[in-house]
Amino acid sequence: MGTAISNMLGAGEGNESEHSGVTKLSSSAQWQLHFNGMKDSNQLLVIDFSASWCGPCKSFEPAVRHMAVKFTDVSFVKVDVDELPEVAKEFDVTAMPTFVLMKNGKEVDRIVGAKQDELENKVTKHRGGDSDDDHHQMVK
Amino acid sequence: MHTYIHNIQNKHKLSSSFSFHYACNHDFIGLLTRMLLLLYTLQNLSYKYHFSSTSHHYLSLLSLQTHTHTHSSALFLLQLSLFCYIPTSSSDLPMAVSGFEGFEKRLELRFFNDSITNNNPMGLRLIDFESLDQVLNEVQCTVVSAVANHSFDAYVLSESSLFVYPTKIIIKTCGTTQLLKSIRPLIHLARNVNLTLRACRYSRGSFIFPNSQPFPYTSFEDEVVIVEESLPKSFRYRKASVMTPSNSNPSRAWHVFTASADVEPDETLVVVEVCMTELDRVNARSFFRRKGDEGNSDSAGKEMTRLSGIDMINANAFICDFAFDPCGYSMNGVDGDRYSTIHVTPEDGFSYASFECGLSLYDGGHGDIAEVLARAIDVFRPGCVSIATTYNGEDYDHEVTKRVERVLAKKLGLKCRSRLMDEFPGSGTVVYQSFTPRRK
Repeated sequence: MGTAISNMLGAGEGNESEHSGVTKLSSSAQWQLHFNGMKDSNQLLVIDFSASWCGPCKSFEPAVRHMAVKFTDVSFVKVDVDELPEVAKEFDVTAMPTFVLMKNGKEVDRIVGAKQDELENKVTKHRGGDSDDDHHQMVK
Repeated sequence: MHTYIHNIQNKHKLSSSFSFHYACNHDFIGLLTRMLLLLYTLQNLSYKYHFSSTSHHYLSLLSLQTHTHTHSSALFLLQLSLFCYIPTSSSDLPMAVSGFEGFEKRLELRFFNDSITNNNPMGLRLIDFESLDQVLNEVQCTVVSAVANHSFDAYVLSESSLFVYPTKIIIKTCGTTQLLKSIRPLIHLARNVNLTLRACRYSRGSFIFPNSQPFPYTSFEDEVVIVEESLPKSFRYRKASVMTPSNSNPSRAWHVFTASADVEPDETLVVVEVCMTELDRVNARSFFRRKGDEGNSDSAGKEMTRLSGIDMINANAFICDFAFDPCGYSMNGVDGDRYSTIHVTPEDGFSYASFECGLSLYDGGHGDIAEVLARAIDVFRPGCVSIATTYNGEDYDHEVTKRVERVLAKKLGLKCRSRLMDEFPGSGTVVYQSFTPRRK
């Protein structure tokens, strides 16, 4: 929560996120706060859509945590599709885990499935670079 | 001499084994044996030897000329004759002495669904991942990729695939894995989420390298004993069968063991298991990693899916793919509650590909079974194909069998060489067909 607020406060100035982990957003309010706070930011946001019962998601958790620690300039958040079904629906999540990469409030990339190399590659690709990076790739 | 030392360390994350393989013109083992015999004779006798290498067609054939100087010339001549008797041409030895075993062992466990409710629909999917991972460790494989949808969880393993449905688990593993070690722990984990075993099915083809398998996989009788020991004694309906075509060359039998608590099959989908060997070499090349592909197994896998045409077998399915290093490919397809899976060992000498899916015979939107099979087999253009179809709860329909044979003959020039059928109480009818190209 503190992260979301610090993100919001630091938003327009391109501050790097202080935390090095995955932030879980459990309520609509938390989601709104964090998401809106990132809209004007150049910082890459990675949304991990998963579910508490999802084995494949669990199998991938260590890898995601490792990436969050490694890429401290990227904001990693976790959304449970049962806790926030309207958000999952808004992002058209049908399989899990799904990782949606956002920059300046727009989707720049997406990975479906526990795919370590692909996630790491795309995070690396999008974390720096211009805000004009506006690919809307839907990974089938 | 070209000997390929194939490092499959990336393919098997838990083991670091090496395997040799060679293409048909090379004769490494013959050479090795001759060298060993030579060293043995040199220890006891002193002779002058003259070696010459013969033509480059048979790169490692050696001819031996000797001059004897001692009284044990008879002994020497005996050793020499043994030495020369060792088969030297590729036609006398199998294509490869040892290589990666593509043929899978498949285990299916089905559970009673009385504890599945609308409020609690997840069943086996509630088993925590750490526990599943421990079972996979025992079997000697590990998860490399995974995806879940509302119907089931699909894991791509270092040695094939795992599917977890609310009341069904399917594990399919290749290489020299210890698949049957998973039965007891899985039954135990299922009991923890209030699920009771209803039926078990174990099946496999014939190994390319049967002597490389550990116990009990050296004999189907031993495997059956191990499975039975792991199951509840109350399972009244049991059957083991080895379906052996009388004319196939080499002999490729289909081994099935089923056991269930009741006689009526509960599964609604038909399961089709396709095993292909002698893959077309050009097609098989798609499944080797390219130099400079940035070491990304996921994008390499996606590229292979696209290039090979695997993405067109069922255009509706979401494909979770993975490319192994330096070669090899696995994918799980997810389409609603339907699964499919493909595994490829592309190396010449022991090339292998499998395709499996669960489907309904009267699918309409999902594609006719014969068309799906034709598309899958066309990706590989194999020299030898076998198809095992398990009807489960569906009534056996002979028209379907004949249609598959017609379509494969017409579209791929594959002639059905044998067709066998067997009934398994609690599991349904199994039809086993084998095909080779018409002009072979």
